[in-house]
Amino acid sequence: MEDLVRAALAAAESTDIRYADVRVVSPQRALHLAVRNGRADALTDARTESLGVRVRTAGAWGFAGTTELTATAAREAARLAVRLARASDRSGPGPLAVTDDPPTKSGQYRTEVRRDPFEVPHEEIVEMLTRAEARLHVAADVKSGLASFQAWDDTKWFSSSEGASFTSRTVHVGAGINATAIRGSNVQRRSAPNSFGGDFHQAGYEYIEQLNLPEEAERVGREAISLLDAPACPTGTMTLVLGSNQLGLQVHESVGHAVELDRIYGSEAAYAGTSWISAAKIGALRYGSDGMNVVADATEPGGLGTFGWDDEGVPGQRVPIVERGTLVGVLSSRESAAELGLVRSGGTARADGADRLPLVRMTNVDLLPGDHSFEEVLEGVQDGVYLETNRSWSIDDKRLNFQFGTEIGRRIIAGELGEIVRNPIYAGMGPSFWSSMDAVGNRDTWHLWGLPNCGKGQPGQIVRVSHGAPIARFRNVSVRGG
Amino acid sequence: MPTRRRTREPIAAALSDLPSGVSADVRVHRTSWTTIRFANGRIHQPHFERATHVSFRVAEDQRLGTATTVDASAEGIAAVRDAARALARVAPVERTFPGFPADGGQHGKAPPFSKATAELSPEEATRLAEKVLAAARDGAPGGRIAGVVIVGQQERRVVNSAGLDRTGVFSAAQSSVLVDRPERDPPPSGWSEGGHWDHRKLDFAELGREAAERVARSEPKSVEPGDYAVVLRGPAMSEALAFLANLGFSGHGEVEGWSCLHGSRGKEVAPEFVDLVDDPRSSASIPFAIDCEGAATHRFPLIDHGVAGDVGTDLVTAGRLGRTPTGHALPPEAPWGAYGPEPVRLVLGAGDASEDELVRTTRRGHLVTRFHYVRIVDPGRGIITGMTRDGTYRIENGEVAGPVRNLRFTESVLTLLKGITQLGKDRRIYPAERAVSAMTTPAAAVRSFKFTSSTLF
Repeated sequence: MEDLVRAALAAAESTDIRYADVRVVSPQRALHLAVRNGRADALTDARTESLGVRVRTAGAWGFAGTTELTATAAREAARLAVRLARASDRSGPGPLAVTDDPPTKSGQYRTEVRRDPFEVPHEEIVEMLTRAEARLHVAADVKSGLASFQAWDDTKWFSSSEGASFTSRTVHVGAGINATAIRGSNVQRRSAPNSFGGDFHQAGYEYIEQLNLPEEAERVGREAISLLDAPACPTGTMTLVLGSNQLGLQVHESVGHAVELDRIYGSEAAYAGTSWISAAKIGALRYGSDGMNVVADATEPGGLGTFGWDDEGVPGQRVPIVERGTLVGVLSSRESAAELGLVRSGGTARADGADRLPLVRMTNVDLLPGDHSFEEVLEGVQDGVYLETNRSWSIDDKRLNFQFGTEIGRRIIAGELGEIVRNPIYAGMGPSFWSSMDAVGNRDTWHLWGLPNCGKGQPGQIVRVSHGAPIARFRNVSVRGG
Repeated sequence: MPTRRRTREPIAAALSDLPSGVSADVRVHRTSWTTIRFANGRIHQPHFERATHVSFRVAEDQRLGTATTVDASAEGIAAVRDAARALARVAPVERTFPGFPADGGQHGKAPPFSKATAELSPEEATRLAEKVLAAARDGAPGGRIAGVVIVGQQERRVVNSAGLDRTGVFSAAQSSVLVDRPERDPPPSGWSEGGHWDHRKLDFAELGREAAERVARSEPKSVEPGDYAVVLRGPAMSEALAFLANLGFSGHGEVEGWSCLHGSRGKEVAPEFVDLVDDPRSSASIPFAIDCEGAATHRFPLIDHGVAGDVGTDLVTAGRLGRTPTGHALPPEAPWGAYGPEPVRLVLGAGDASEDELVRTTRRGHLVTRFHYVRIVDPGRGIITGMTRDGTYRIENGEVAGPVRNLRFTESVLTLLKGITQLGKDRRIYPAERAVSAMTTPAAAVRSFKFTSSTLF
């Protein structure tokens, strides 16, 4: 593989090329096993590999990627990247700047895996999924049950014209179940441990075993059935307590994306959008209440956003984002950090495979725990709702106005959880919502959730990220039953 | 090298080695795409990518397994076959799987394809982006310009052990452009987009000019959420149609019972003048010849004179529904699991109104350019939510009265369909990225559309 990387780097050498890097992901495996209603929903085993060459002239980047890992294809990719950079250099208003991060010379990173998910017999996994899925069908109204397992194994090689070089092997796994109960146009879904395919972690199959999906399945099926007959969520302005998995997604959408520095600078203006944050306000902007503390931590054990180096060769690091409610940091790449005047990148440039350009992405963006127990968070609620497990999510292109629906809600009356309510939706504006947070759950309520489907960029890229979140209480939130 | 020649022998060898009683199909996708992104007035992310993916699906004792590789060599395809068999052996039984067909249906004439677009050089693609940038810059001096040009092709070959062997290829060119004024608070913005299977028939400069012209001179004003009549421009309609395709016409939704048109097929779901068809061979779309199982594509009515038609199916969903497959198979590697099959080349019949006439007859309401971050709220009732974006305007007394701050809608696609009062006469093709789907639609006037909140810009 080193020969391939060297061939590509050599082919990119030219007097007008200021910088080049080559990434190879090989092998790249993705295993997806899913059972729906007793049948195979997806039994796929993808074994791919890719190579990408990125170059920079004085005023432009160029990139080319291929799935053909031969010296000829690598050199061709390098030449195409150079041609694109030269052709694009004419459009720019001036030179490009990047941070001067010291190159890592020969790094290695590996996920610690106790049981390699790709060595576990397929029979064992499918048997577990089949058993879990069957138990979801607690009544005839459960029209669809789904149990799924996913695993990814990426071996990456990076080398740059600055002398940086590293290899890494990351293994991510995840699994989940969901039951869909249907009566007429009343469609209710319940998932565990989370929606979007369950929960995900950087680990081996041992993580799947401790999820105990077959043991959870009957409860999930019963809750889906209960939702069919549950009253609609009450409508009004009320106190809201968010469960950890929904709060994780709230952090993702209304904090994580908003603090991506490429969005702040308009690089994503036409597609993913921009941000309500301006660069000038970093260090002073009130994002939320004093209980709000957020970090982007690429060193967190088990996170899907944990790595040795990002896809520009910058070491993974823990970056404070919000401290006691004030915005103090952002997610950045070498180019965007330089534009902000930083000396070093925040190390969050990530790419979906070697055939995609690295973009500013989330790592593990966590809301840190507070000091309230679950009961203490509820105690302060006279009449409100507790919502968990996302069902729908949408937010505007500056990451301000959001609306989330969850699978399930429960009334909170005088500090006690009450009846189940269906089709709950809550909505708000990011800063006022976070400012209304007056109780943050402690470490016992906190969980690191893996999110495998964060999309961004053109061509589209999916990266896997994590969010640690406790439960938390918000006052005067607009809630309604759909 | 063309996919057929390059992969013929390895695939034939892999299929011929299958034991008796084991059948298979092989899908080869070979793509090359150039993506030129620009932002802040400069090209910032030029990207070229060439890829080959081979997907091998095995049916063994009515058990299905699929494996995918990028290695199209004899060894690579044999290895992926063995991986698929290993999965099939442990799969639950798919009792209603009809088997792989020897005949993929009437092939007919090859749909239009542009070799010039398929083989456009990176430098030429960059020049197209420069055209968009220059036109937008001229139209809105001082504005911030961002967008993309995407050109390329996808070649698909499907071979199966029953003897089917078909190849199809499509070309596509698309562009979108945003012009905004970030120095103003809230910032007004203008948007334009379009696509074609032949880049020579897409006026890139016009897209830049149109986006620039649409930037309002005044600041967007706040309006109260509520039910309003709307005129939905093409980009907004294309997004609504994409959700309708999934929520109403997916075979998967019909199997599971959550389709919002479940129980409404053959019934009136839109005014009589509304005709919606899936037309994958039409030159009015981004045409392609075969679906992912090798079935010949064909014109497939979805709403005929306001009456709802049937769902799109593939082999598996057709088997589960006890029907004949309709040729709507999607790639098996959808990252979120089964969401297809569904129609992906929708063409909505045009009306006879200009945009001005749509606005004039609407009298009072909003003109919406595009939507953002649309998601499903309630599949059974077809309810979706999302934001307006990049050009939302108040309509008063039948005229565009000025920009408004963006609004969140939470509305059923069924209510939207029923509420169409008039359709525009000008249609454009709106491809999703790399034309994985493409909606051809005019603008539409809709009687009532529910806005549930507003944002600050």
